[in-house]
Amino acid sequence: MMHNLEIIVKPCPEVLERVLRVTRHRGFKVTQMQMLTNNDASIAISLMVEAERAIELLTNQLVKLIDVTQCKVLPNNQLDKTVNA
Amino acid sequence: MEVGQKIRGADAVIKVLAAHGVTTVFGYPGGAIMPIYDALYGSPVEHLLSRHEQGAAFAAVGYARASGKTGVCFATSGPGATNLITSLADALLDSVPLVAITGQVSTSVIGTDAFQEIDVLGMSLSCTKHSFMVTDINELIPTLYRAFEIAASGRPGPVLVDIPKDIQISELEYKTPLQSVTEELQADSADLVAAVELLKASKKPMLYVGGGVGMGGAVAHLREFIRQTQVPSVATLKGLGSIAHDTPGYLGMLGMHGGKAANLAVQECDLLIVVGARFDDRVTGRLASFASNAKVLHLDIDAAELGKLRQPDVAIAAELQCVLPHLTEAVAGQLNIDSWVNKVSAMEVEHRWDYNHPGKLIFAPAMLRRLANKLPEDSVVSCDVGQHQMWVAQHMWFRRPEDHLSSAGLGTMGFGLPAAIGAQIARPNATVVAVSGDGSFMMNVQELTTIKRKKLPVKILLVDNQKLGMVKQWQQLFFEERYSETDLSDNPNFILMASAFDIPGKTITQADEVEQALDEMLNAPGPYMLHVAIDDAFNVWPLVPPGASNSDMMDQMEKQT
Repeated sequence: MMHNLEIIVKPCPEVLERVLRVTRHRGFKVTQMQMLTNNDASIAISLMVEAERAIELLTNQLVKLIDVTQCKVLPNNQLDKTVNA
Repeated sequence: MEVGQKIRGADAVIKVLAAHGVTTVFGYPGGAIMPIYDALYGSPVEHLLSRHEQGAAFAAVGYARASGKTGVCFATSGPGATNLITSLADALLDSVPLVAITGQVSTSVIGTDAFQEIDVLGMSLSCTKHSFMVTDINELIPTLYRAFEIAASGRPGPVLVDIPKDIQISELEYKTPLQSVTEELQADSADLVAAVELLKASKKPMLYVGGGVGMGGAVAHLREFIRQTQVPSVATLKGLGSIAHDTPGYLGMLGMHGGKAANLAVQECDLLIVVGARFDDRVTGRLASFASNAKVLHLDIDAAELGKLRQPDVAIAAELQCVLPHLTEAVAGQLNIDSWVNKVSAMEVEHRWDYNHPGKLIFAPAMLRRLANKLPEDSVVSCDVGQHQMWVAQHMWFRRPEDHLSSAGLGTMGFGLPAAIGAQIARPNATVVAVSGDGSFMMNVQELTTIKRKKLPVKILLVDNQKLGMVKQWQQLFFEERYSETDLSDNPNFILMASAFDIPGKTITQADEVEQALDEMLNAPGPYMLHVAIDDAFNVWPLVPPGASNSDMMDQMEKQT
């Protein structure tokens, strides 16, 4: 099952490692990824992940990360559009 | 201090600790943290020198768990920091508030493989609640304040702050940062209504109580709920002490080595009220068959635990201190569970522990029960990991969760001795007993020196069966008696070793020596080691075999077919 996540994080050097570590450890495989710095210096990470597990098992852990300010599950077709834009 | 006066970053670290009420830090010095140790010299913050950074951090964990305060430990860069990792992981799995401060090489040489340089921030990602590396002196004080806030708020946990040496010697003007206010998680009112409905509809409710009750300061609230509703209860390893042991309907620990009545009652209940617990595999056995006919009401401060392993019927992520009184008020005197309460009571009587043990050798469960009955009111028992740990959980009883320190989530051998040291520092007037096994004890045995140095009156009850008992039990049951590397019959002379650290003690081997020996240990004015050679034929029972349902407990020497 594929899931499309939009994660907004604070601009810390290790924040991408934190997000990817939790994603791997909780049993989700990253199949697409994009990262952009917003005008307010926050960072938007778009992740397409694949797993048999319910996506809430990942999102509930991601929102616990101190540097994650927002984590949304998007409809699956949106990441492709963003990446291809 | 005059306005505008500058101090070193290292001095600011100590000032922040003092501002947070930290009176003792546990640690070990080294090159990259020398400025902080220099600032510590002569400061009001005391330092307890361990003899290994893992021991320092476990002492900080013991301090935190015995007192409810945040523990603090120091280590230098490189090996000092890597030695902390096991203790940080232990604190993460058991939700212990801890602030670990590590020295780091100077920012100019980070990333050059400098002497004693390792990527501590990178290593910390999987074993802390959060971590920081300070690269700007102006961020030092706000970061340390934030570390204390994160460690203790919500579901507590360890926070690491890595401070490069140049930051430690840079100067800054000390200013107290504006403190952010952590919002309390409030329960949704619709969820509370649904929870009350579940409770009122239940004919056979059961409380499954975990470490979150003690960590969340909700012991009194839980006890009041039980008093007003009579709902029967069981506890996890970390939940022990949350419920007074003589509470009607309390059945002790559940799970792999839980009591029979505890496991059977949970299997039979129609509503499982999970309070500050997380469906750990050592609790549930085969998850699909765990309380499979029960609805689930799950209360926890950590929303990520709700539905992680078992889908709840109603879940509330909020402060237990707030939720429990609401539920108590809503259902007190309104539950129709008398026949269930009577049945649970009969189960408790039917499956009571039997302390009659034939022969003259020492039966560890009976000895530990006797110890529990002798301990004064202000007591702490720390354990290591293995058979003795399970016997402590099964057969001892505790007045509150802060009185029982056991490495539950990570199951770390070597936890017991340094945790006892931290507990004794936190509660200097308490009787602190480290119950250890002959395997675990050797894992942090260097901390005997810490006891000697500070003349700490820690009592050590060393339960010796000359083997890695729990592993050997599994080899006997599940690995065709192929005893690979579990024989410890070449143990050192423990009493002779203790005497090298000015710790007196004695060895006992016979059951009729136990009573007097326990009294001698507890009455010793200083540290003491009671080395107990137990009947090594006895294993930990009951046991839920791996992958089995909690209904299928083994309680005798059966081999898996």
